[in-house]
Formats: sequence, C-alpha cells, structure tokens
Amino acid sequence: MRELPLAKAINESLRAAMLADSSVMLMGEDIAQLGGVFRVTEGLQEQFGPSRVVDTPLAEAGIVGTAIGLAMRGYRPVCEIQFDGFVYPAFDQIVTQLAKLTSRHEGTQAFPVVIRIPYGGHIGAIEHHQESPEAYFAHTAGLRVISPATPHDAYWMIQDAIASSDPVIFLEPKSRYWHKGQVDVEVPGLAMNQAEVARVGRDVTLIGHGAAVAMMQQAADIAEGEGISIEVINLRSLSPLDMDTVMESVRKTTRAVVVQESPGNASLGSEVAATLAEQAFYVMQAPVLRVSGFNAPFPPAGLESIYLPDTDRILDAVDRSMAY
Amino acid sequence: MADFTFPLPDVGEGLTEAEIVSWHVKPGDPIAVNQVVCEIETAKSLVELPSPFSGVVKELLVAEGDTVQVGSPIISVTGEGADEPAAPDTGVTEAVSDTTASVSSEGDSGKVANLVGYGAGDDHATSRRRRYARATPAETPATVPSAPVSAPVAQAMPIIAKPPIRKLAKDLGVDLASVLPTGVAGEILREDVVRQAEQATVFKNIETPAWPENREDRIPVKGVRKAIANAMVKSMFSAPHVSVFVDVDATRTMDFVKRLKASPDFAGIKVSPLLVMVKAMIWAVQRNPTVNSTWTDEEILVHHYVNLGVAAATPRGLIVPNVKEAHTLSLRELAMALEKLTVTARDGKTTPEEMSGGTITITNLGSFGVDTGTPILNPGEVTIVALGTIKPKPWIVEGEVRSRMVTTVAASFDHRVVDGDVASRFVADVASVMEEPALLLD
Amino acid sequence: MPYTDATLSLLAPDGTLVTNDRNEMYHQAISHLGEADFREFYRVMRVVRRFDIEAGNLQRQGQMALWVPSIGQEGAQVGSAFATRSQDHIFPAYREHAVGYIRGLDLINIIRMLRGVTHGGWNPKETNNFHLYTLVIGSHTLHATGYAMGIGFDGACSTGALEEDQAVLVYFGDGATSQGDTNEAMVFAQSYQTPQVFFLQNNHWAISVPVRVQSRTPLFERAAGFGLPSIQIDGNDVLMSYAATRLSMDAARSGQGPHFIEALTYRIGAHTTSDDPTKYRDEDELAFWQARDPIDRFRTYLTSLGVEQAFFDQVEVEAEDHASDIRARTMALESPPASEIFAHVFTDDHAGITAEAAWLEEYLASFEEGSS
Repeated sequence: MRELPLAKAINESLRAAMLADSSVMLMGEDIAQLGGVFRVTEGLQEQFGPSRVVDTPLAEAGIVGTAIGLAMRGYRPVCEIQFDGFVYPAFDQIVTQLAKLTSRHEGTQAFPVVIRIPYGGHIGAIEHHQESPEAYFAHTAGLRVISPATPHDAYWMIQDAIASSDPVIFLEPKSRYWHKGQVDVEVPGLAMNQAEVARVGRDVTLIGHGAAVAMMQQAADIAEGEGISIEVINLRSLSPLDMDTVMESVRKTTRAVVVQESPGNASLGSEVAATLAEQAFYVMQAPVLRVSGFNAPFPPAGLESIYLPDTDRILDAVDRSMAY
Repeated sequence: MADFTFPLPDVGEGLTEAEIVSWHVKPGDPIAVNQVVCEIETAKSLVELPSPFSGVVKELLVAEGDTVQVGSPIISVTGEGADEPAAPDTGVTEAVSDTTASVSSEGDSGKVANLVGYGAGDDHATSRRRRYARATPAETPATVPSAPVSAPVAQAMPIIAKPPIRKLAKDLGVDLASVLPTGVAGEILREDVVRQAEQATVFKNIETPAWPENREDRIPVKGVRKAIANAMVKSMFSAPHVSVFVDVDATRTMDFVKRLKASPDFAGIKVSPLLVMVKAMIWAVQRNPTVNSTWTDEEILVHHYVNLGVAAATPRGLIVPNVKEAHTLSLRELAMALEKLTVTARDGKTTPEEMSGGTITITNLGSFGVDTGTPILNPGEVTIVALGTIKPKPWIVEGEVRSRMVTTVAASFDHRVVDGDVASRFVADVASVMEEPALLLD
Repeated sequence: MPYTDATLSLLAPDGTLVTNDRNEMYHQAISHLGEADFREFYRVMRVVRRFDIEAGNLQRQGQMALWVPSIGQEGAQVGSAFATRSQDHIFPAYREHAVGYIRGLDLINIIRMLRGVTHGGWNPKETNNFHLYTLVIGSHTLHATGYAMGIGFDGACSTGALEEDQAVLVYFGDGATSQGDTNEAMVFAQSYQTPQVFFLQNNHWAISVPVRVQSRTPLFERAAGFGLPSIQIDGNDVLMSYAATRLSMDAARSGQGPHFIEALTYRIGAHTTSDDPTKYRDEDELAFWQARDPIDRFRTYLTSLGVEQAFFDQVEVEAEDHASDIRARTMALESPPASEIFAHVFTDDHAGITAEAAWLEEYLASFEEGSS
C-alpha cells in the first residue's frame, strides 16, 4: 500500500506500463523535459529516452493523427492533450478516424491509442481549462471513455487503458491531481469497464465520475447527519456504462440522482437517466434527477463555484427526490 | 433470349428524377454493353446513360422531354443473356427507412439492380408486420406506424401513482380508477391497492336497499336452508367445539402465489393463497392424522385419504362440496379441482355425491374481508380450518418492525377426538407452511 | 501555362525524350529500367484506365452510388508506384486506383466500397502495405507521418541497405494542401525527420475550386517553406514520376528526412460521377490537357523504341477482359448481413455492442414471414 496523489499514481503507473512493454510510448506537448504541465510524466523521458517520451509540435490533430500511424506500426501510444478545452482541434482525428478505423479495417488491425485529457473545473483557471467534454466521446461509437476518481483507480485504470486493444479516452480530474489516496500497487482495482459502489446506503443513489465522486461523498456525509442514507456510485467507465452495478443500487434505494460538472443538456447524465427510466421504471419512486453544470459556456473562475455542482445543489436534489 | 428493362438510376447521390433529353437509339437497333442509349438531364447535370445490356432495342418506354422518376423503366432490350445481372431485393427501391435487413441478390428476371443511396424520392414507406403490432393495423399505412399508444382516457381526475404501484395494481388485477387514494398528494399508495385487491367483489356492487314496506318477510324452512340448519345443529350440539388461532407472516406465500401466477404451467388457472393453505392442510394431516377422522360413538374412523371440503357460497346458501382424493393431486391438479368446484357451486350444479364423503373442510372468511372466526364443523368431520384476510401489518423481522402480509389461521375441532396438543400442532403446521411454502417440498 | 521553369520532365508530351542539365540525375534514376519495364508501365496504365471507364459506366447503370475517376492521372500514379520498394508503406487518398493495382489490390474492392458494401475493402497486410482509402481530405497524411515516425523509432531506416530500409509514400491532392492536418503532417515530418515522401498530385481542381484558390504560389514551394526538399514534375510523364519518386524515397529512407514531390497532372474526368465539370471548366483547358495525356505520349515513345503493334493490341484485349471480369463480379456482389454493423466496432468485447447486436438479431427475426 502506498499513499500517492492522483497525478503521481498515474506517473508511477505509466512507468510500470513502459517497463513492462517496450511498445508503449508517450507523446504530447511539454511532456518530456518539463514532465507535463501537471508533472504527470515527470522523470519519464530521463528514464526511457526521447524516442519513447516524445515532445510533439503544438498541434493536437497532429498528435492524435501521428499516434494513429504509430499504432498501425505496432506501438501503443499514450497521447497527452494538455487541457480539456484543447482537445477540439484533435476532435476530427478522434471521432472521424480513430473511433472508426477498427471498423473500417474490418478487424484486420487494432488501434490501441490512449488519449489522456486533464478535465474539469474547481481550479480557478482561465477559459478552456475547465471543460468536461465526455459526452462528445461517449456519444461516438468505437471509443472507450473512462475516468478515475481516486489515486487507486488512476493507477490501475491507466494500465488497463494501455492494455486495451481499443482506443481509450482517459479523463483525469485535474482538481483531484494533488489529493492523496491509498494505492494498492499489488492488487488491481475493478475491471476497466466496471463501476464501483464507493459508499453503501439505503435511501438514494448518487451517480457520478471523476471529481464528482468526492463531492458526492461530502454530500453523503452531511446527509447522514440529517438521517438520510446515501449510496454513492463511482461510474469509472462512461462508455460503456456499467448499468448492472447502477441497477443493483437503484433497485435497493429506488431513487437516483446523477451528478456531473458538464452542462446537463444532452450530457452523459442524460444517458444514465434515460437508461434508468427504461430499465428501472417499475422500481423507481422518483424520476432520475440530474445535478449538472448550467447550460452556458463555462464562466470566468469567479463564478465557477456557483456554476459547478456543490454539496448544497446535490443535497437539494436529494431532498427533491425524497419528497416524491 | 429474354427481355430486360433498364430502370432510371440515381446518377447523382440522392436525385429523384430526370428528364430524357434525347434518345441515341431506336427500337430494332442492335445495342452493346456500355453503348450510350440516351442523354438525361438531372438537377445537377447532363449525363449520358450507357446500356447495361447487349441485344436489340425492343421499346423506348418514355419519350424525349418526359420527366421520369428514379427507378422507372426507360428502355427494354431483348437480350442475348450474356451479362445477366443479379438484381437485389426490390424492397430497396422503396423505403429509405427500411434499411436494417440484409438485401440479398434474388434474381428478379429482367430487372437491373437499383442500389445504394436510392430511395430518396420514394414517399410511400412500407412496413412489415411487427410482433407487438395492435390487433387492427392499417392495411397499407401511409407512414410507418409508431409504437402502440395507449388511448388517453378523459378523466375527471388523473390517477396519480408511481410506477411500482402501477405494477402492483397490474399484478393484483386492480383497476386503479376504482382505488381510493390516501396519499398526501392524492396519490395511490401501495396499501390502497392491496386493500382494494382484498375486498370481496361481493361487497363492491351491493347497494344498500331501502327498508321494505312490510313488517316481516316469511321464508319457509326447507331445501338447502333446512339442510344447513340441521347440519349446524347436529354438529354444534353433538361435537364439543374448540377453536384455536395463530397469526402468521404469510408474505412468502403471497410471493409464491405471485410466482405461480406468472408461471406458464399455471397459465389460465386460478391461483390464490387458499390453494397454498389447502396444500398445507393436506401436509398437516399427514403429520397429524387424527384430525382427519369421523366419530361414530363406538369408533374413531381415521381416514388415510383426504376428501377436502371447501365451504362455498351459492345463491341458495352455504354448501360444502369436496375435492375427492385431494392428497393424491399435484398442486396444479388441486388448483384446477378447486376452481371447478367453485364454478360448479356458483352455477348451482353441485351433486349430492360431491357433497358427501368429506373428511376435512376449509372455509374462506377472508374473501368477505373478515380476519378470523370460529367455524362450525361439517357433520362427520372433526376439523374445519378458516382462512381469513391476508393484509399488511407490522411484524418484527430480524429485530426490526417491518410491514408484512399477515393472516390468522383458525381451526375448530371436535374435542371428543382432537385434544389441545394435536389441535395446536395441526394449526401450527398449517401456519408454518403459510410462513414458508418451501416446507411442502418435504 | 501550369508548367513553370521548375517543372522537371524526362518525356515531352509528344513522346520524345528531354535532356538537359537539370534532369540528368533523373535519367540516371531510370537507367536501370529496360523495355520490359516500360511495357509493364504501359500495360498497367491502359488496364487501369479501361477499368476506370467501366466503373464509370457501371455507376451510370445503377451499380454504384458513386464512382471516383482517376482518368488522366495514370502517369503520376504508375510511375511513382513502380518506384517504391516492396518494403515501403503507401498511404493513398481515394483516387489512387493504379497504385493499388500495382501493389496487388483487386480493384473490385474499390467498387465494393463505393457500392456500400464496406467502408474499407482490403487488408493492407495483403496488399503490400497499400493502406485503406481515407475520404476526409488530408487526414491520412498524419497517419502516414506517424507511421514513418514509427519506422524511425524502430531503426528500420537509415542503415544504408536500400532493399531493407523502409519509407512511407503518401498521396494527396491540391485541395488537401490547404487542410490543417496536411500542414501539421509536414511539421511533424520535418521535426522528426521521417523517412517519408509527400506526393502531391496537383490535378488542378478540388471539385469545382481551381488550385489558384488553394494557393497563389506553386504548391511545391509551400513544402519548401516547411524545410522539405521539394520538386515539381510533369506528372503526366510516367518516366519522370518514376525517377522523382525513386530518388526521393531512397533519400528519405537513407536518413535525409522527408521529401516532397508536386506532380502536375489533370483530372480529365469529373470529381465523381455526381459532379458536372461543364459547369465550371473551360473546354480549352480540357483540350490542353488531353493533348498531354500520359498514355498517348508513352505509346508514342514505346513505338519509337520499336515496340510492335501486336503488343498494343494484346494490351487492349487484356484491358477489355479485365473490365468484363470486373463487370461480372460487380453484378454478383451481395450486401453484407445486418450483423456487420456491430462486427468490428471494437477489438475487445464490449457489453453495449453485444447487447445491441443481440437485440437487432431478435428484432429482425420477429417479423412475420412474407413481409409486405
């Protein structure tokens, strides 16, 4: 057992993956000597050299496009997109090419490309540095989308992503990078496509991923003091969704609230809600509620604490659910 | 030699029609594959069409200057059969929406394939008969019919009930419109539905009549009424009656009944808690044989067979027909026998033979909404069991108060034959099955 | 005049050889070729052109939604493709039918794609590394660059062994040079000094937009601006296409970094069968280029070498046979089963795909027989 911040857990895990498999390589802006703007790749170029830890030109489409070519060559590239808001120049290569190449090649070639993206708010940053773009990728067939909530998650899920033969979008909650947690480096966590019951409860199920998990735990602590028992689900996998775990919880509690930083309109939370409405129709005592970012561009940091879900907004939804 | 027709293709990804500008051949001309037959004008451009066939031009099917829909035949050729094309399912020329089935190349003699991207122009979609389609579908629907829509009923007040409650009502066969809601927001609660389910139908439709005008009605004592009276007196004043009661958590029986109802083996067969209790009684008789006897002053005749009587209300009064050899019947057979017995009694067609030879009886007070009672023995028998209402009550489960489906199992015994200990054991046995039907697997 | 002072050629439009100081090294580059090679160049150009015409007819007969003609560009494609070595990887755009043919692609597979049977059509491992067509303009140039970067990281180039050192040839058109991806590809190629040749077929039109809208300066100068050694050639000269590609690829595979060739050619046909060039092109311009046809001039040259008429007749027969065979096989093509929708979305198992595929199978089976 080690206590590691989330960023370091990824760093150590990348190291382990690169030691285990010489075809694993990292590419991105500022990841080599600087070690990445969040220091997630610190020390790795020193250890593995400039042809395995590659600083790229400032061109996101180029990063993903060349990673595709490298995957064709037999490499397992792990790309870093420096910030969530900068993934969009690469969006075409991701959804038009990477997501569809396995299908286009009719199974004769795999494309094991991982794209790491620090995402989310709560760090007081400027425009384009606090986005939650998971819906665009979850919506695109051919991509797997996962997001760790804890250092233990992060340590194992990045290795799972690298080992997967499919393209994986790995959304790292940057507001959690420096939060420490226990990491069992011997015993893996759940499988990459599994959700976790992060907290057992009876009255309401809270569902979310990444940074929202800690927020839901805080809300659950407060609710416990008020006599409401909340079960917290850490989705971990956004595409595919582990509805088995979610359904088991909702059958027990009969009430569900989804929590997400992204705007609610046409969001991943909408997909969870619609699927629950279909699969848990006869079970639910209340409709599925969504606590999301507002449907407006992410505001200047001075307003982010109002824009993003907080424990009050979550508990307000819990109250409304319980009142049905 | 065969005739082939060339339908107008979509030459420009989504075109729906074209004008024939000029023909380059005429009937009787020899024609080779790829030879230009005509020039057409589309929304996008002027295009020359090459012949897919070789042979002799038979007929020009449209005239210069005509505008033709994509898919319409424009020329027929009597062919030498060299390049016989395989035409795909003509379904593809129609609905654009109908895209999921694989299109196989069935030979449709004489037609050349029209293909991918086609169908942009065709307005009448076709539809195949769907598994969940309603009983009265439209013959050729103008549009693909949407999913079955339940007709919205204009009501004075909307029914407010959560999905789990709606399902419960559906399972119990309760019409939500008939349920009195007691929820704070006017919604129907679980207990409202359960209460409705347990009420006897007999009470629902009885109106309270006005007081009659005459002081008295005189009903002659004869027929069934006289027989009932004699039987009751004979029984009551010859056998010393003792009644024993036990409350039991019958939730598992209710679950079991629900499962039986859903089972294909029991489709169409009436299943109720009474069935379980009857099976329980037979099992309890096996364990306490003397409750299944007849007193004859000289002897106590212990029967090693069960002719199980069921008290049945008929238009003319209470009768007790019995299910012969009930101990040999499977659960399913028993259910069918009970149903037959009830229906026959209701129709007034029960024979004397069916009413004689009973060895033990059950009476269902619960169907009248009554919790329990002290039933009178059927003459010739020493035990009668009463089933009361089964309703949600607070019960202690694993140290906590929970709502469970609780009922009182009551039985009256002839104390000349059955002492308190046997009576209690028998009733406890019946109750234990109501609590755990799996004991019947013994 | 589309040609500039920089334009290199070996064979003039009239079929006679051109010699000057600038093209001496390119004559050298073809000096190892013999008449047998030249006959093969001619045969391939003719067979593929005849195939192309047949495919266009098939489209007009309703057998494909769309056909993408390569007519007029045979010289650029055949010369360059023959100049690659067997260990090379080739990334085409979507009009390089002759290159595919030379690499062993059965051309029916291009028809399968345009007929809606597949989005791919072949396995590059079975077509001597002729990769799939990419329909989004320019996107594949990054894939090609990434692949070449991989060759570099593997140390599979710059060893001095020409028969083993690997290189990547990527084809694209004048329109693609405006796309960000294409420019990023050159940035990355230059940064990592990839063993790669960028082969631009400037056929002068991007659908209806002439090349002067893409650029005010010759396109080969753009690449030079990125630092790539860059030449412009007469793309309708199959010998020059061969020579330029041969030298550039061998330089790239030998550690001299990425190179660029702009092959001036012309799209004699439409962009696709949905297009109507009469709406935007000049008759005179078309005539200019038809007079510079790659096949005509090469036939003239071969005749001057003494190649007999019987050879040309034999090639015609072969071209006809190939076209007829393509026709017959096109007619016999079947649509894929519905299960193909889900067959290769992911490499590993995926619960969502499994569930949906099962649902579709059950749904399709649920209809009564004899659907209306």
